[in-house]
Amino acid sequence: MQKFFSNKKLIILMILIIVTFGLLAVTVNIRDKKSTPPVVQQVGNDVVSVVGGVFAYPTNAVKNATSEFSDLYNTYSENKRLKTRIGELAQNQAKLEVVQDENKKLKQELKLNGTLTDYSTVNASVLSRSPSSWQNYLTINRGQTSGIKKNMPVMSGKGLIGRIIEVDKVSSKVELISTNNELNDKFAAEILGDNKNVTGVVSRYDSSTGDLVMENVNSTKDIKKGQSVITSGLGGLTPRGLYIGKVYGIKKDNYGMTNSVYITPAAELRNFTVVTVIKSSVHGEN
Amino acid sequence: MNIKRRKIFGQVLFILFAFYLDGLIKWAFLNNMNHETIVILPQIMLMAIVMLTMRIEDRRQLIIYGIVFGVIYDSYYYGIIGLYTILLPLLMVGIDHFRFLLIKNNMGYDISIYFLSLTFLQTGIYLLEKLLQQTSTDVFDFITYTLGPTLLWNIVVFFVIYIPLANMSAWLVKYRRDSK
Repeated sequence: MQKFFSNKKLIILMILIIVTFGLLAVTVNIRDKKSTPPVVQQVGNDVVSVVGGVFAYPTNAVKNATSEFSDLYNTYSENKRLKTRIGELAQNQAKLEVVQDENKKLKQELKLNGTLTDYSTVNASVLSRSPSSWQNYLTINRGQTSGIKKNMPVMSGKGLIGRIIEVDKVSSKVELISTNNELNDKFAAEILGDNKNVTGVVSRYDSSTGDLVMENVNSTKDIKKGQSVITSGLGGLTPRGLYIGKVYGIKKDNYGMTNSVYITPAAELRNFTVVTVIKSSVHGEN
Repeated sequence: MNIKRRKIFGQVLFILFAFYLDGLIKWAFLNNMNHETIVILPQIMLMAIVMLTMRIEDRRQLIIYGIVFGVIYDSYYYGIIGLYTILLPLLMVGIDHFRFLLIKNNMGYDISIYFLSLTFLQTGIYLLEKLLQQTSTDVFDFITYTLGPTLLWNIVVFFVIYIPLANMSAWLVKYRRDSK
């Protein structure tokens, strides 16, 4: 026994290897299966994120200023284009209000408490992005205290950008839609066709073209380029009607069996500092 | 507070500042979310760590720094504990171990040590994540699209900020050298 434990370096190496794999396996498991990480980790992350806010605030201000500066370049042409749309918008808004009101009354009549389209929102600002190739996370400054739960969808100004993956007390992590993690990046989606909507699952991100890929599409007959894609609300975690992007094209897979619809994401995943977390009113089994 | 404690406090603040810079630089300048072919990972904290490691002579202090900042880095940025937590102390002990090769502190030496550390760290992270099936990237894609650009970007940045960084880290550990 004396001989066995005499090589100190070997023992240290052995313990190191065991500890490494133990820690990794346990934390990966916790991240995938539990709704929150252990309290120690939560508190640690919160402290780091609160202090990080001090650095993030000026950075976000600079980021906003630079994006405003680049906006100045195309102001003239954009203004012209927008002016043509503005009349249309006012009309649509009035119509939307009337329809929403009517919808609310009808729901009361039918005693419908919550449907797939009902949700409330929480705004949060971004603190940092992980300097990591495979964990595409944003850290935001809202957590459990604001009612955020794991797996809630997250939008930027224009469209869907990802999903909450870890919730701490006053901060949380958002996994971006442009991730190739096979467990978490799936969204039940729906293409708004002229007469019939086509459902499917946004399941992949094509990093070479920057497109999202929608699979399990039942028929591609009515799909045209430029049609809007929204979340379908099926599956329970995501409400219906969150805008994802526009159809870019259809490709058959290598075996010619299924069709994949390529979608240009609406969210410009670069120039934003504030995100919106969507809290669905209808909860599926989690 | 005596001067030794003050210096240690300064070192911790220095590393923490570099830690936040990593996330913020990635967020503000290298935020290529729409076309994610080339991935550049800023590793400013590693610069601070390498510079301090080459100047601090107490191995126990190095290991404590490595584990503490490794855990914070993993928990805050990766959400998986065990990548930096293990690799960072290993790296620091490694640099400390081969200190006898060091003839004098010059820029070329510092940059080559940083280059080797960055390669070791990124490759280690890749191998561990591959093992745990956190990524499906193959080795050639990793070298071309992640390791290469990351090394290039970081070496250029290190070159640019070398002089203030070296002066700062020398000043932060100076007391211990003089006392010997």
